[in-house]
Amino acid sequence: MIAGLALADFRDRVRRPAYAAIVLGAVGLGYLAAPGADGRWVILNLGGYRGVYDSAYTAAVIALAGALWLMLGGFYAVRDAIRRDERTGVGQLLAAAPISRVAYLLGKFASNLLVLASMAGALAGTALVMQLARGESRAVDPVAVLEPFVLLTLPVLAVTAAVAVLFDSVRLLSGGIGNIVWFFGWLVLAVASQSSTALLGGIGVGYLADSVRADLAAQGLPLKDAELGLGLMYVDQPLRTFDWSGLDVDAGLVVQRTCLVLVAIAMAALPALWFHRFDPARRAGAAIDSGRGVGAVINSVHGIGAAAPASLPAQPAGHVGLPKTAVRRGNPAPRLFVGELRILVRAVSPWWWLGAAAIVVVGLVVPPPAALLAAGIWPVLIWSRLGTQPVEHDVVTLLGAYPAARRRLLAEWAAGLAVTVLVGSGLAVRMLVTGDGAGLAAWAAGALFVPSLALALGVVSRTQRLFQAVYVPLWYVVVNDVAALDYLGAVPGGPAPGLVAGAGVTLLAAALAVTEARHARR
Amino acid sequence: MLELLDIQKVYRGGKVAVDGLTIRLGTGLVGLLGPNGAGKSSLMRIAATVTRPTRGHVRYAGTDVVAKPNALRRVLGYLPQDFGVYPNLTAREFLSYLAAAKGLSARSARARIGELLELVNLSAAGNRPLGRYSGGMLRRVGIAQALLGDPEVVIVDEPTAGLDPEERVRFRNLLSDLSADRIVLLSTHIVSDVESVANDIAIVAHGRLLRRGTPDALLRDVDGQVWEVTVEPAETSRIQERYPVTRIVRTAAGVRVRLLAAAPPAPDARRVPPDLEDAYLAVVRAAGHPERVAGGLR
Repeated sequence: MIAGLALADFRDRVRRPAYAAIVLGAVGLGYLAAPGADGRWVILNLGGYRGVYDSAYTAAVIALAGALWLMLGGFYAVRDAIRRDERTGVGQLLAAAPISRVAYLLGKFASNLLVLASMAGALAGTALVMQLARGESRAVDPVAVLEPFVLLTLPVLAVTAAVAVLFDSVRLLSGGIGNIVWFFGWLVLAVASQSSTALLGGIGVGYLADSVRADLAAQGLPLKDAELGLGLMYVDQPLRTFDWSGLDVDAGLVVQRTCLVLVAIAMAALPALWFHRFDPARRAGAAIDSGRGVGAVINSVHGIGAAAPASLPAQPAGHVGLPKTAVRRGNPAPRLFVGELRILVRAVSPWWWLGAAAIVVVGLVVPPPAALLAAGIWPVLIWSRLGTQPVEHDVVTLLGAYPAARRRLLAEWAAGLAVTVLVGSGLAVRMLVTGDGAGLAAWAAGALFVPSLALALGVVSRTQRLFQAVYVPLWYVVVNDVAALDYLGAVPGGPAPGLVAGAGVTLLAAALAVTEARHARR
Repeated sequence: MLELLDIQKVYRGGKVAVDGLTIRLGTGLVGLLGPNGAGKSSLMRIAATVTRPTRGHVRYAGTDVVAKPNALRRVLGYLPQDFGVYPNLTAREFLSYLAAAKGLSARSARARIGELLELVNLSAAGNRPLGRYSGGMLRRVGIAQALLGDPEVVIVDEPTAGLDPEERVRFRNLLSDLSADRIVLLSTHIVSDVESVANDIAIVAHGRLLRRGTPDALLRDVDGQVWEVTVEPAETSRIQERYPVTRIVRTAAGVRVRLLAAAPPAPDARRVPPDLEDAYLAVVRAAGHPERVAGGLR
């Protein structure tokens, strides 16, 4: 039963564009992980060395890089499985089937893992291709190719799959907040689990380090812990090569990695303790009349029960005639804007508004950087709705027959801009009062850029997750003083406001162009 | 006049939903009947400018609305079969947003929304978030939005699904009122919905228009070909294999079967006056569509 559930879910997911995008990203990563002999951008730096590109080394380095990437990108690809069942009504069907909570959750876990493992499979294929393309060793060893993917990558993917199920089952983490929490969780795990003493081997870097250290020592080339780095980095000199004998697979390694998989399974089954099994009455905050999901989508299936009764009342009470008021045309822009603003912020909790008010006040009284960075992340869940709401709520079927699609999109963007300006208004007032013209220009450019980015990514992907996955890391690099990507004006030496504003306008134009193109192909 | 001329719609993967269909719609109500998968909804989406035809033309008052869809959208009221709403908006807010999208002035939008909520019996619930509405209430919000702009053309796809009997009658009466001076296209697979309001019926299957005519003309097609015969329960399968069966009712005397046949199917068969369901099934069966009696024995 679990296998059947997982397989159906797996098939549904691999047919979506997001799957192909993540696989392509993984393949691209595989290419980056095995740079040419004179390459300066590397993924794994072993104290200035790298292994000769034979089956074992190429697979190991791509398996580790893949584990790191799929922990993040793969998580965003596989999450939402439970909520999707809730939205589509499939959950109601499953709830009436003889399947236990644990079996359902493990089915979702297995499906997540299948999706991630298939991505890892694409990476293993890439490893083989890269080994042959680099041409340093032509001898193909299938076991050496698969070993690091099975022993290093797969257990990490199991944990990722389980965390996705866990997050989906907790109302607070099942949406955008969960996406952001996982980004920071991933940062912590990625750093912590690279150490040799990481719990149950972490992402597996420690195993590689141990074996590399032994081989380098045997070849008279010492390696220190601090000199080992995993992640995209630039090196001054191309890495020198050494012969690596492969992973030292012993019972300890196998037991540790098996334990990691078992921990993942337990983590996936844990939500059975509180999982609502699609019972509307058991959901927090549920207040619906119909017993359907809170998404409020009407479809013809609901009509079955009422279809074609044998006899109907001859005349219902209180026959009301057609509306008498004549239709007059007017300027709809302000009401479209108000409507879009309502769609964006109506569901926002009072706590969010309290936080926004605090940022406004802090912006008024404290010099820019802190409030600027806070204003740059606080509305992220509101921005991420831009461009996605008609599809997410299936209103697109109604709006498809309405005129002025471009005007609606601009109103949506303006609503996003209004939220941005509101949260950053304290800062803007302070800059105006203190005569900080340059700061104000950078602030205005940032305010233009962020909703444009959100709208463009929302329109293209039709999901909130792409913006969340792109924007939070972007904001994080600005927090870490990377001036080249500073769209907020928080770091000295960042791009000119004109450039940031230009990027914003380009993104807005792209969103409009994509909408026009879709309309033309409707 | 709304004209759909030689319309073909082929979806990705080669599935032909509409296959060279031509239909001209003037003032009045046309009931579009057809089995599931006949291409009705695809045709409705094409007529409503939501979907582009692969081939063919859609003209409204002489304007090519495939190339210039806004010419129709400004005067169109469209209720799709499946649709969503923003669950955190109230019905008034949602309709206000859609009225702005239609380009209505604030004053006329406000007044019409009040009148439409009364028309669809939702005045009392108008300030409640849509996420708390039942399926039937949401359907009525859909009906209200279709009438926001006082449309010249009304296209409604399976509009009564989810409505209770009283609301269904109310909606049928509304369609009758609308059809007095508007083009109304009603798609359904519920024959009784069409029977009560349409004086012009189009039957489609396999993406093609099989028959168009008044209810009387359709009934004349099968006059003298509808029979009722009471048989043993074990015989019903054999009868179903030989004849198009339109109704099966289990009675104390056996199973009463209503069927279509040119000649008496049994010595004790009784000729009965045809109804629209018989006429519809005769057309669909003649086209080779395996339309079966809903619900089996009853």
